[in-house]
Amino acid sequence: MLREKGFHTFVIVGGLTAWRKAGEPVESVPENDLVKLPTFS
Amino acid sequence: MDLFLLMARHGYALTFSLLLAEAVGLPFPAAIALVAAGAAVAAHGLWGPYVLLVAVTALLLGDTVQFWLGRYMGWLLLGFLCRVSINPETCILRSAESFYKRGKVTLIIAKFIPGVNTMAAPLAGSMKMRFWQFLRLDFLGALVYASTYLAIGFLSRDFLKAVLRGFHVAGRAMEAVIISALVVYAIYRIVQYRKYRMYRVVPRVQVQELAARLASEDAAKVLIVDVRSHGYYDSGAARIKGSIRIEPNNLEEELKHLSKDKDIYLYCT
Repeated sequence: MLREKGFHTFVIVGGLTAWRKAGEPVESVPENDLVKLPTFS
Repeated sequence: MDLFLLMARHGYALTFSLLLAEAVGLPFPAAIALVAAGAAVAAHGLWGPYVLLVAVTALLLGDTVQFWLGRYMGWLLLGFLCRVSINPETCILRSAESFYKRGKVTLIIAKFIPGVNTMAAPLAGSMKMRFWQFLRLDFLGALVYASTYLAIGFLSRDFLKAVLRGFHVAGRAMEAVIISALVVYAIYRIVQYRKYRMYRVVPRVQVQELAARLASEDAAKVLIVDVRSHGYYDSGAARIKGSIRIEPNNLEEELKHLSKDKDIYLYCT
């Protein structure tokens, strides 16, 4: 769909797992991006 | 083999297996097994209290497994259970909100509601319900569920026999239905395969290639996008440094914020 809309898109082979294995830098997901379920506690 | 005969011979094991299978999320007809077991009780093939004990034990065992899987696997398990939904993330959040709004007693009636029955135990685990409280409510739910269907089978034994005779007569029609379903499934798989092949046209890059580009002067033209639809449940989750997240189920809206001047590199887990 992205390509259909004219975006120049690529897919990273192996995703986050391959990125980590290669020793490339990662960061924590910001609190605002976390989608949390409601909890009873 | 006649369902009642099967129940009379292996009723306890059959009831236990089918109910356990359903409780761990497999698509097995547990309610039908209970109705058949109830009919077998009416025919003195099985002993009612023992069937009830077996049924409740199986349900509690399966639900307990689901509860702890939900507690430790969170989004992963819920996403798997919601996989048939068009939008798994919405399925999870809606189920969770509905569960939260209706309260913990949902567990008592959950087994009667298709869809909710599979989600209730893992949701209770994910939503940090106390285990003993879960066990107490789930025990009540299992007891009500098993008793109800056993009673239906017990009271409608003659009617069920007539229905089963009807099924034998309609055997050929059933064969045609099954063959048609297999053909439809095969067509669906072919369509999926073709769709998958279409996705292969999206260029793929190796991590090293992207890392080299990020280290060059060209880095400003790169936008790395995390398209995991869930997996953000656990705090401490990580992503590629400098990447942004877009929600694949809300792509139309998300596209408005993306620049066409940049090369977009997508990744998931």
